[in-house]
Amino acid sequence: MITKQVAERVLDKALSNGAEFAEIFVENTYNSLISFNDNKTKQCLAGNDFGAGIRVFYGHTAIYGFTNDVSEATLLKVAAAVSKAAKGKSKVKVQDFTKLEFENKHEIKIPNNTVAKSDKIDFIKRINKAARDYNDQIVQVHISLTEKMQDVLIVNSEGLWAEDSRNYSRVYASSLASNGKEIQTGTEGPGGFAGYEFFQNIDPEELGSKTAKIAVTMLNADYAPSGKFPVVIDNGFGGVIFHEACGHALETTSVAKNASVFAGKMGEKIANSVVTAIDDGTIPNQWGSENIDDEGMPTQKTVLIENGILKSYIVDKMGSLKTGYKRTGSGRRQSYRFAPASRMRNTYIAPGKHKLKDLIADVDYGIYAAKMGGGSVMPGTGNFNFAVSEGYLIRNGKIAEPVRGATLIGNGAEALLKISKVADNLAMAQGMCGSVSGSVPTNVGQAAILIDEIVVGGRK
Amino acid sequence: MYEQEFKLIFDYAKDKVDDIEILYSGGNAFTVSINQQEIEGFNHANSAGIGVRVLKDGKQGYSYSEKIEAQALKNMVDEAVENAEASEDVEDVEMANYPEVENKPDVYSEKLEQVSVEDKVQFAKDMEKYALKADERIMNVPNAVMGSVKSFVKIANSKGLNKEDMQNQAYCFVSALVSANDDKRMGMDYHIGRDFSQFDAQKLGQTAVKKATDLLGGVEAKSGEYAVLFSNDMMCSLLETFSGVFSAKAVHEGRSLLKGKLDKKIAAENVNIIDDGLYPGGFATTAFDSEGYPAQTTKLVDKGILKTYFHNTITAKKDGVKSTGNAARGIKSSLTVAPTNFYLEAGKMKEKELLAKHDKVIKIVSLQGLHSGANPVSGDFSLSAEGFLYENGKLKTSLKQFTVSGNFLQMLSDIEAIADNFQFNTSSVGSASALVKKLAISG
Repeated sequence: MITKQVAERVLDKALSNGAEFAEIFVENTYNSLISFNDNKTKQCLAGNDFGAGIRVFYGHTAIYGFTNDVSEATLLKVAAAVSKAAKGKSKVKVQDFTKLEFENKHEIKIPNNTVAKSDKIDFIKRINKAARDYNDQIVQVHISLTEKMQDVLIVNSEGLWAEDSRNYSRVYASSLASNGKEIQTGTEGPGGFAGYEFFQNIDPEELGSKTAKIAVTMLNADYAPSGKFPVVIDNGFGGVIFHEACGHALETTSVAKNASVFAGKMGEKIANSVVTAIDDGTIPNQWGSENIDDEGMPTQKTVLIENGILKSYIVDKMGSLKTGYKRTGSGRRQSYRFAPASRMRNTYIAPGKHKLKDLIADVDYGIYAAKMGGGSVMPGTGNFNFAVSEGYLIRNGKIAEPVRGATLIGNGAEALLKISKVADNLAMAQGMCGSVSGSVPTNVGQAAILIDEIVVGGRK
Repeated sequence: MYEQEFKLIFDYAKDKVDDIEILYSGGNAFTVSINQQEIEGFNHANSAGIGVRVLKDGKQGYSYSEKIEAQALKNMVDEAVENAEASEDVEDVEMANYPEVENKPDVYSEKLEQVSVEDKVQFAKDMEKYALKADERIMNVPNAVMGSVKSFVKIANSKGLNKEDMQNQAYCFVSALVSANDDKRMGMDYHIGRDFSQFDAQKLGQTAVKKATDLLGGVEAKSGEYAVLFSNDMMCSLLETFSGVFSAKAVHEGRSLLKGKLDKKIAAENVNIIDDGLYPGGFATTAFDSEGYPAQTTKLVDKGILKTYFHNTITAKKDGVKSTGNAARGIKSSLTVAPTNFYLEAGKMKEKELLAKHDKVIKIVSLQGLHSGANPVSGDFSLSAEGFLYENGKLKTSLKQFTVSGNFLQMLSDIEAIADNFQFNTSSVGSASALVKKLAISG
């Protein structure tokens, strides 16, 4: 995308005011979106994202600039602008480039741009039909299919020359059920770090009827009760609790600023001893996986919490400089428009030895959250909230009637200690995680967990 | 500007499409964030991109490119044509050369461009400094950010439309984390504007801290139904979250609660909701929308009666009405409808008087989970909140984190009174504090 000579001259310029480190990130991405609604292919949109970002370090200060124009003249201009943002004493020179060799763990079998749009639309239509056939309360089905093929080049003043191609495939289906007065939705959004073969391995009929079932169940559900209850959160997207309440607070972005409840807790017990949590960027073709992170470091499997003890943070290059902890291959960014930051990949609570039914059987009266919605957290306080998108009451150790409109609120550090049982049914679910370096694909995951007590905000 | 690129695209597309619209969007942006008086982040951005919307046999296709060179632009047109052919959505779509607004709004300040990078960095440092000095219970200042944006939009179509708009603005925000007796609270304040002299680092830093310290030492809210006062900025957040229910596109697609409610009462009599693309000094103010259609002032809700939805020319044709100038799209997105400066008209009473209207009122000053705990389709919300309990108009105590639940439409009907402390939030949604008859609170 740029030549070694250009890279060297641009990095040289970026270092010229005494910076200790300089990096260029170049990206050429093909994005495609097919959007289907109202029984019709409504929009097809595709395009080319293209540009480069230049980053320099002065001590613990990161300076970043980007442009769409990767001509040498413009890159030199951006390099000059970022170099002038501060002044340093370093005399570092650009090292000779060595191409980073790594094993490709995520085979792409069918590049998405080799498949006809009509095949993709046929796949979408099967999902649509299955959802509408489920029940006559389904009034609308929205489906979108997104594909992204990203080529990246990461070069830095330490001599790194890393190139990789990434391929993302995701389908998102949302069914709306209505009884004439109210509307409820049911959604699923499976995705993979994979080519078109990812869609070929999905059963479209199953996906469609699954979203319809959730919408109809929730439409015919009563409002959730309010108060403090034990809650069983099932696997897959249930892992959003850990992602939001704990994962973000383990990123060095917040740890280094002392804005995290887990800052200074390395080696200490921060969770119930039944909890082991992992952030793994190496699982083949998983949504949050990558061969290398956006700073050009091979990703790894990082044990965050082992039997309740804090073992590692999620560390990027700047986070490593600030905290002294080793990088974990977690420097990620949405695109060349963002400087990288410490981010999660595939983050999950490892399976325990119980069965889901044992967890339910432990609860006299509480909530079974079969499927979670999104949520958010304040890193400083650790307070979180997240929505239950498919919920049921538990009565006398058995799953009872469905309930809707429930929100779980609490504190991440406290909730980790209140996880008393973990089941054996590990599963992951896909999401887009938004933070300082933009929106990146991440998997959340867990086996079902029992939290002894949590505040449920309902309507009753 | 970019006449040559536009001409190249028009010429290349001429025999391939029925009509074409070209949108250029570019500009530059600057942000600096400060932590412990050091520059923590410093971003300098130059961006440019061209997007096209083509019309072929009544179907639309889209494509864009950030590579602005001849071959990439031609590929973009071909891709858009292919996308139009794949679409099954035959609509009554028209492109036209729309007139200009009578008085072009003032959306650019040359003086703002003269503010130096050093002054912006110093401003962010000052916000942090004043916040740190404001109260001894402060732990740290997680955010002290100052930024500015300059953007240029050019839109042209094959019917002869050719409009340009240059805008700029500056913004800043500061947040403060405070603690006392193991209770931690966060407070935030912000300012946006085109007049840098109106940016007050001391006031912003101190307000952020005060918002946080006021909340310290809360008691648990007793679960039940309460009269609830949403502060002006939280009322803005709620309106922003649910603004999509006014979209004609959402109505046509069966995703809006307001379907079939035109000319019906959907809110209390004191509720007037307005969208004003020409609001003086507004940050969504613009002379034309994303179809090049002139911006206007639209009364959506008049004394509680729903008068119209947001329209672009396509949704308007379907309903047999005129566009309200709410067409929206970026180069990477398809044409939709969206609000401009969207607001709930202020009332005349003081917030203090609203708080005294019931024996007990819960005042909410912070809401979390708006993107997850609020369902814009059903209108249901269950949100994490922070605030205070008032008894007989007097502040009784701050409250520990609690949830507030209800339904947006029900809430609009239950608005008892609106205060006079009107303000816009960072997303150009405006409101004063509002008192809602009853909502479910869970502590």
